[in-house]
Amino acid sequence: MGSVFLGAVQSMGATLRIMSYNKVGFTGFIAVMLILFMSFIGPFFVPLDTETKVDQIYQTPSAEHWMGTDHQGRDIFSQIVNGGKDVIIVAVVAGALSTFIAVTFGTLAGFAGGRIDAFVVSVTDIVLTIPQLPLLLVLAALIKLNNIVYLGIILGALGWPALLRAVRSQALSLKQRDFVEAARALDLGTTHIIFREIVPNMMTYIIISFALAMTGAIYAQVALVLFGLVPFSGSNWGVMLSLAWVRGAIYFKDSIWYIMMPVAAIVILQLSVVTMTRSLELVFNPRLRSGE
Amino acid sequence: MATTITAPPVKNIHEKQRESGFYRVTHSYFFQKIWKALFTAWVVVTLTFFLIRLLPSNPVELFIQDLMVQYGMPYHEAQDQAAALFSIDLNQPLWGQYLDYMWGLLHGDMGTSILSPGTPVTSIIMRFLPWTIFSVGIALMISFTLGIILGLFMAYRREGLLDHILTVMASILSSIPNYILGILLIIFLGVRWGLISVASMRGTLSPGVEPGFTLEFFKDALYHAALPILTYVLTTIGSWMLTMKSSTIGVLEEDYVTVAKAKGLKEGRITSSYVGRNASLPMFTLLTIAIGFVVGGSVLIETIFQYQGIGYILLQSVNKRDYTVMQGVFLVITLAVIIANFFADILYSWLDPRIKLGKQE
Amino acid sequence: MSNESQLIWKHEAGSGTPLSLRNVHIIYGARKGDVQAVRGVDLDLRAGESIALIGESGSGKTTLGLGIVRLLVKSADISQGEIIYRRNGTEVNVLDLDKKELREFRWKECSMVFQSALNAFNPVLRVWDQMRDTAQSHGWKDKKAIRQRSLDLLGFVQLDAERVIDAYPHELSGGMRQRVLIALSLLLDPQVLILDEPTTALDILTQRTIIDLLRKLKEEQHFTMIFISHDLAIAAELADRIATMYAGRIVELGSADDIFYRPRHPYTLGLIRAVPKVVGGFQELFSIPGSPPDLIDLPSGCKFHPRCPYATDKCKTEEPDLVTVGREHEAACWHWREVEEELQTNPLHSV
Repeated sequence: MGSVFLGAVQSMGATLRIMSYNKVGFTGFIAVMLILFMSFIGPFFVPLDTETKVDQIYQTPSAEHWMGTDHQGRDIFSQIVNGGKDVIIVAVVAGALSTFIAVTFGTLAGFAGGRIDAFVVSVTDIVLTIPQLPLLLVLAALIKLNNIVYLGIILGALGWPALLRAVRSQALSLKQRDFVEAARALDLGTTHIIFREIVPNMMTYIIISFALAMTGAIYAQVALVLFGLVPFSGSNWGVMLSLAWVRGAIYFKDSIWYIMMPVAAIVILQLSVVTMTRSLELVFNPRLRSGE
Repeated sequence: MATTITAPPVKNIHEKQRESGFYRVTHSYFFQKIWKALFTAWVVVTLTFFLIRLLPSNPVELFIQDLMVQYGMPYHEAQDQAAALFSIDLNQPLWGQYLDYMWGLLHGDMGTSILSPGTPVTSIIMRFLPWTIFSVGIALMISFTLGIILGLFMAYRREGLLDHILTVMASILSSIPNYILGILLIIFLGVRWGLISVASMRGTLSPGVEPGFTLEFFKDALYHAALPILTYVLTTIGSWMLTMKSSTIGVLEEDYVTVAKAKGLKEGRITSSYVGRNASLPMFTLLTIAIGFVVGGSVLIETIFQYQGIGYILLQSVNKRDYTVMQGVFLVITLAVIIANFFADILYSWLDPRIKLGKQE
Repeated sequence: MSNESQLIWKHEAGSGTPLSLRNVHIIYGARKGDVQAVRGVDLDLRAGESIALIGESGSGKTTLGLGIVRLLVKSADISQGEIIYRRNGTEVNVLDLDKKELREFRWKECSMVFQSALNAFNPVLRVWDQMRDTAQSHGWKDKKAIRQRSLDLLGFVQLDAERVIDAYPHELSGGMRQRVLIALSLLLDPQVLILDEPTTALDILTQRTIIDLLRKLKEEQHFTMIFISHDLAIAAELADRIATMYAGRIVELGSADDIFYRPRHPYTLGLIRAVPKVVGGFQELFSIPGSPPDLIDLPSGCKFHPRCPYATDKCKTEEPDLVTVGREHEAACWHWREVEEELQTNPLHSV
């Protein structure tokens, strides 16, 4: 048991070392880890401040309130710490679903070719054409989206077309490579070729797709919350932004912290996820390493 | 580099002319794209019909129930009123309703607004759509052109200081959600630094300015559209720059660029007709995604800046549950994207002669 | 343009030396160190003759070809030497030309036919546009005259000129494109033509037509050509003289006959023995052992010694220079006499 654990730690160390070759990417990775830590472990240490304190409205940062207070005198820092979990869960659910759809059907289309390819491509083109946000708005008017997993599934079900295109063209170029041709010549079967030959070679692509799908889902869900289309309760960076916006907080000089903190949280999360992909590329694509 | 290049099958010019005229027309790129656009439009229309008519809590039923509960109307009367508003005969079987609905759409009949009774949805759309086309169109043109030029520049100066600065800026800009950038523009340009008067920039025109071919009108229209346009440009230009940069780096390694140099062509000619033109080709295929994204994003941006375009109306109608307007606006937004994509495809085929021959890819 | 009326300037055979390379060194900057792609090449190209540069990939032959028109990538540098170009009694060092002069020099004085004509054309411009912008860049104004000359040249390379001129590159086959490229290279009536593997990317039948075309250029028009190839048979067919390159140097230079029948450098001998013969049925095919040298960390002494069957201790420490081994025949080998003896007992091309 001990040796297994040691081995795992060692390989993790090696992975981290590879990731640190790209400084920007590694910074993104660290930032993502910090955000995850803050959002999932943080709430145990920093409980959400729900008490209205009329005498402490819109305070600037102090030792007591690290990020100041909101329109009801509540601590902003506690809201930031508690407001990330939902955003991240929705993003992961949506990202995973989009990536799954894009990778499965993208490789299938690229590899199978012919009618299957034509069909997948036309469906993708159609879904790609329908602007995502207006459709989400219409859906939000017709069905209740207040469950975060449910919201994630809907976002994921709409977020795959651009990724699928990219995955398909990647699969098309992989299909021409020698090892795939060899597998085909050996008649190893489509499933084997897709999951054993193509998908592993597309790991970089899948990881990047997942990251991009996540950022797309963060974009859409915060928008829905911000404009009051998803009735989220509790704390959520989008809800904070929405409240600040609706309260006209942007027009008060003192309220800048209340609106800038969730803005910063969302932008930093987006940026870190995108830059993290650069380091992940190194892990999954050994060819990139040797060049540097 | 010992890459083996196999000669492609000889596409003989004579062979091309042997095909019959009819086949060539119906299978031409142009017609393929028209079929595709029409088919997509049909799918979207059908989807919308099912959304409003078939979902368990579809707007028609919701509206009828609303009338019955709120005004104590009998079911038949409520149903008649719903039928009039949605322009669907609810006594028909479903497929009849579907055909009716399609027929109505073909005649520009999208029903009447629920909240402002008597106002046809079409007239609402006609009033607000031009402003969105205006602002989004200008923004896309600016960011596309500027992005291509900057990307080209970055590729020529790659690894230089300016390239690094621009790359970082482009990455940051493309990961900020557009509505957040809009909010930031209001906070900093408007409130904190007081550089612009956000309040006076709201709306699409200042009071008293009449639409027409006057300088005053154009200046005022641009003044009011400036913030949405700035937001669209800033949030889309980053990805254009980065894509163009990598595309240009690829083209710079192409043999025909070396040959162009060997031919002693002038630098400007090589950059524009050889490098720039070829490197920008893949950008046109990305235009499809960008158009949908920007038009979709207009819903948020127009709301943030109180710019009364079609996106603003969509969010309003969604919030107020004005289902007929919502349905009509959604359809029109989607159709606008389909049409824009069609033109992007045509433009692309015009720029890339390899497309015209027949099938793409 | 003094020769506009004439399709191709009838080059006088054997008058003068339009191009001389003097001690040319070319270095590529790489992460691990400098790649010494060309090391001290001397070569005189006589008017009307064609020289073939042969060697394995990495021998520096393509780098040298590109270096003559200064088309090397940014990381490459012609660190030493002179590239002297002469026309009508004036003499310039190509390395001294400024940007504008260089642009004018290219194609007008020295044009180049590239390895892969498949990618040599801008895919979005018609053949005509690519002919026109070349001529216009060199000061031609009369569009009609450009078009007429383009049509004449396309006819000369045996293409259906009227059709081809308005075609896009993708509408032409590989062989057609290669011929268009040859026509294009003659457009400005250059004095020197560099051909970099002009037939490599083509199928065997198309190769034949291109070779015939090039032979016509050489024999009827006495064109001055530098011909870069790894294919000895084609080199022997098209070249008057052949230069064998190894590790960035010319290791043997002589008439096509001398090189092909009386090689004096073990490397040239190896190259010839490695060519499969069509006649003679089954025979053991020879291949040079080892692989081309690491150009960053070159072996000491003669760069060929790790692969050479004649290598002695001297070869490991001292690099031989070219020495005369026959009439107009030079080789850089300490043991060229042993090669000669070997050929007497075991001759080449015994049919």
